[in-house]
Amino acid sequence: MNRMKLFAAILVFGSFWGLSEVLIGSSLHNMGLPSGAIMSGIFALTILVLSRMIFRQTGMQLGIGFIAGALRMFNPFIGCHLCSAIAIVAEGALFELIWYKLSFDSEYLEKPYMQASMGTITAYVLFVGGHIVTQILTPIVAGATFYVQNLIVFMPRIIAGGLLPAITGGVVLPIITLSKNLDITLKDKVYYPTTLGISLICWLLILGNFLLA
Amino acid sequence: MGKEKLIPIFAIIIIALSVFSTIYVYATHIDKDTISLNGNEYTIDEIFALAEEKTISTVEGEKTGVALEDLILKSGVGCPSCSEYTIKARDSYQQTVNWDILKTGILDKTGRVFFPDTPKKFWVGDVVEIEVI
Repeated sequence: MNRMKLFAAILVFGSFWGLSEVLIGSSLHNMGLPSGAIMSGIFALTILVLSRMIFRQTGMQLGIGFIAGALRMFNPFIGCHLCSAIAIVAEGALFELIWYKLSFDSEYLEKPYMQASMGTITAYVLFVGGHIVTQILTPIVAGATFYVQNLIVFMPRIIAGGLLPAITGGVVLPIITLSKNLDITLKDKVYYPTTLGISLICWLLILGNFLLA
Repeated sequence: MGKEKLIPIFAIIIIALSVFSTIYVYATHIDKDTISLNGNEYTIDEIFALAEEKTISTVEGEKTGVALEDLILKSGVGCPSCSEYTIKARDSYQQTVNWDILKTGILDKTGRVFFPDTPKKFWVGDVVEIEVI
């Protein structure tokens, strides 16, 4: 695949994810809802699976995670923005690991119970793995010390927190795969202005939210 | 065993593990209204009567509460700068900080600690214990 085309796609998917984290994730957090679990189980999973299904490129989801993580840093007012940014990048990397050898062209992923199982596993690993990575890396990045006992005592709650994303993942992935046969192709003339335009709108909304907060 | 069997089994294990963990979390929930500090129990009002208040600037704006520096000194910790402090929450979340970080922080009326220069990850809420290590 054309590298520029792939980069533009990474940019647009990453921008969408970043925007959803900043606006929707923050709103859920303000409402006292489990924002991390909902964001991992619905938004992150949808964006990562959809991008893999359309472009079939390994490595792309890590790039999407980097873009979204960088954009999350623009909302320092809600939640721990550094923790969230690290978790988002980790989720992109974890998706790559889980789906490294898997393809949507595989026959067994045609079956709904397999799609539901993969959705459960993927969403759970994204949430729990992202949470663990951020517990370890945030103190280190912030110049403090990571204490393993602080992670160990909190592990039961992290594992328990994975229940909601696991259930939503089992529902969301089969729904996303319904769009597998949709043919959405854009000509180069339209592709670049569209992807860059959408990305720009996402960034402006994030910037606007940052300035108005 | 092929992927067709392994993947659903793994998904079921994940759900079961999360359910058991949820039960464990609720069963071990800490239910108390006091804060343990250096071996003594204090209510939030006693803490506010014990130490002086201060206001700090954070990324979320100004926050007012009891100065953790004064609180530790008045609670009788022998050598504050030689110790580290694990701040524990009701939900078992905890963070350990050194004296340089702790002395910049406050504990507010809701039982949440704030630090001016650390990520919010260190702002432990619903504090039930400050352990001196």
